[in-house]
Amino acid sequence: MRLLEYEAKELFRNFGIPVPNGAVVKSPAEIALAIERVGLPLVVKAQVPVGGRGKAGGIKLAYSFEEAVREAENLLYSSLKGHTVRYVLLEKQLKIAKEYYLGVTIDQSAGKPVVMLSTEGGMDVEEIAKKKPESLISKRVEMSRGFYEFEARGMCKQLGLEGSLLVKVSETLRKLYEVFIKYDAIIAEINPLAITENGEVFAADAKIEIDDDALFRQTSLNIKPEERVEDPLKAEAIKIGVTYVRLDGDIGVIGSGAGLTMATIDIINDFGGKASNFLETGGGITEQLMYNAVKLLVKDERLKALFINLYGGINPMVQAANGIAKAYRELKVTIPILVKLVGNEQEKAWEILENAGIPVIKSIRTEDAVERLMKIIEGF
Amino acid sequence: MGILVDENTKVVVQGITGRVGSIQAKLMLDYGTKIVAGVTPGKGGTFIHNVPVYDTVEEAVAKTGADTSILFVPAAFAKDAVIEAVDAGIKLIVAIPEHVPVHDTMRMIEYAKRRNVKIIGPTTPGVISPGKTKIGIMPASVFSEGSVGIVSRSGTLLYEIAGNLSLAGIGQSTCLGIGGDPVVGTSLTEVLQMFQEDDQTKAVVIVGEIGGVQEEEAAHFIKQMNKPVVAYIAGRSAPPGQRMGHAGAIILGERGTVESKINALREAGVKVANRPADIVGIVEDIIKK
Repeated sequence: MRLLEYEAKELFRNFGIPVPNGAVVKSPAEIALAIERVGLPLVVKAQVPVGGRGKAGGIKLAYSFEEAVREAENLLYSSLKGHTVRYVLLEKQLKIAKEYYLGVTIDQSAGKPVVMLSTEGGMDVEEIAKKKPESLISKRVEMSRGFYEFEARGMCKQLGLEGSLLVKVSETLRKLYEVFIKYDAIIAEINPLAITENGEVFAADAKIEIDDDALFRQTSLNIKPEERVEDPLKAEAIKIGVTYVRLDGDIGVIGSGAGLTMATIDIINDFGGKASNFLETGGGITEQLMYNAVKLLVKDERLKALFINLYGGINPMVQAANGIAKAYRELKVTIPILVKLVGNEQEKAWEILENAGIPVIKSIRTEDAVERLMKIIEGF
Repeated sequence: MGILVDENTKVVVQGITGRVGSIQAKLMLDYGTKIVAGVTPGKGGTFIHNVPVYDTVEEAVAKTGADTSILFVPAAFAKDAVIEAVDAGIKLIVAIPEHVPVHDTMRMIEYAKRRNVKIIGPTTPGVISPGKTKIGIMPASVFSEGSVGIVSRSGTLLYEIAGNLSLAGIGQSTCLGIGGDPVVGTSLTEVLQMFQEDDQTKAVVIVGEIGGVQEEEAAHFIKQMNKPVVAYIAGRSAPPGQRMGHAGAIILGERGTVESKINALREAGVKVANRPADIVGIVEDIIKK
């Protein structure tokens, strides 16, 4: 879950990472007071959890009170890159002399955090790596040992920093690693770290993404993921414990396991269909989860058929069959449903479905099932 | 032979008296897996499915000589369970839980690697050497004994492809899922290295998916392999920037796309199937040669 900039900056402030003076507003009534508190000139920043805000018109400069009010009012409640702007951050403009990049993320291959520093901030780290590789230093960290400030100083020195700037940047980098660890982050970035004309450093932007699987113990952040997604179906999916991604077709798909579900969607494409979604149940399918998953998808008016592709994992398949049959009956589903289901006691599960009037395909090949599905759709 | 596990592997089930642990322990016992012990704190001294239960892994290892552990504990306790198993002298840990915090995963892998303990997973369906042992949650019926090794990033897609091969009369040496998380204990490349050394394995099937660079890294190693490798990669129609179920299955910019993986694999001489069922024909052709 990606935090909004102002939330990330609050965490930075708690850890002693300097951030520009600023105030966040969530209604037009708060704007005037915020401007007075922060002082002109201002940067007016839409708070949405995606990158590329500047290019999309989400960051404005304001030099007068009226300008600041106008820009903040325009951004508030507007739609930016698919997200409604619910918060606007007003920040004091900085006199920036240089921009650096500081980041901590996960090196998947090494299975370790990696700390990165570049004297070429302001662009994506991928872009820095491509265009200015000599300006980028990274260091993998053994978590049991930790990341020390002398190592940060070493990185700064390698990039030619000296004096108080070397001290300030290395301190900030070490603190950023602390934030990364403390909040179960998968990314913690300061891009750019602004070096002002009089040698001060500020985190001009802040990006923190928290591991969704660790939110249960990051209670101080008080994040409810279902409240942070725009798509109501996605919000419901989070509540019932499945993964949902909206696609632009009309065939609903439920699968057990991410790989199988993706393959199913690929095969539907191959056979000339288009999936309306990716819905993956995870390993622990219960009757209730399956019922909820079907209920969620049949709400989608685009749907002209539903294909369910399951393998028995942690729980017996009979539970899944009961859930599907119950949903079919109680929700009076009118679109055709086709089920492919393999696992322990599959015969019992097939019988439950067939008794409920739901066609079952007994082949192990998803290709066979999709072929049949397309025929069913054509005949409808 | 097969890799990682065989009929002599002695297994301890951590979390054996839980709802899932007890069902899955029974299914493994039915398959013939040598489960010598279970562990549930507070249930020491009892039996389940005639398997003795201990309070600690240390005790279980001391009393039974278990060398491999399979975890059925909640994700929040996976790290604790792994470190307990490592300290008890377990050499292979099959980490079934999904949704383990990635910081925990990094810490437990670091701890285990330094002590030469292998972790498969997390988010793995486990490992099966058909006809010998099954240490995982996979449905046994789709696997059959033979000479094709399968390594997969996805669990259920592994079942589909193994099932297709079995129906065509092509058995498997060892099949495993390495787990769908961004950080896993054993990589695709490490599994290929094991298959390369294994006498029983004559050909290898890779089941990959979008996200990360494991397939690209594996392609480097495949160039040195003298066994044929076949692959299928899922996620051609996945939109970029969206996590497709597995935390690791995401296209970020140019990274992690199906094209990048297929190109790298093809360049290394791998035959890449367009659909899961097409694997069968490709493997049949290889075997006939």
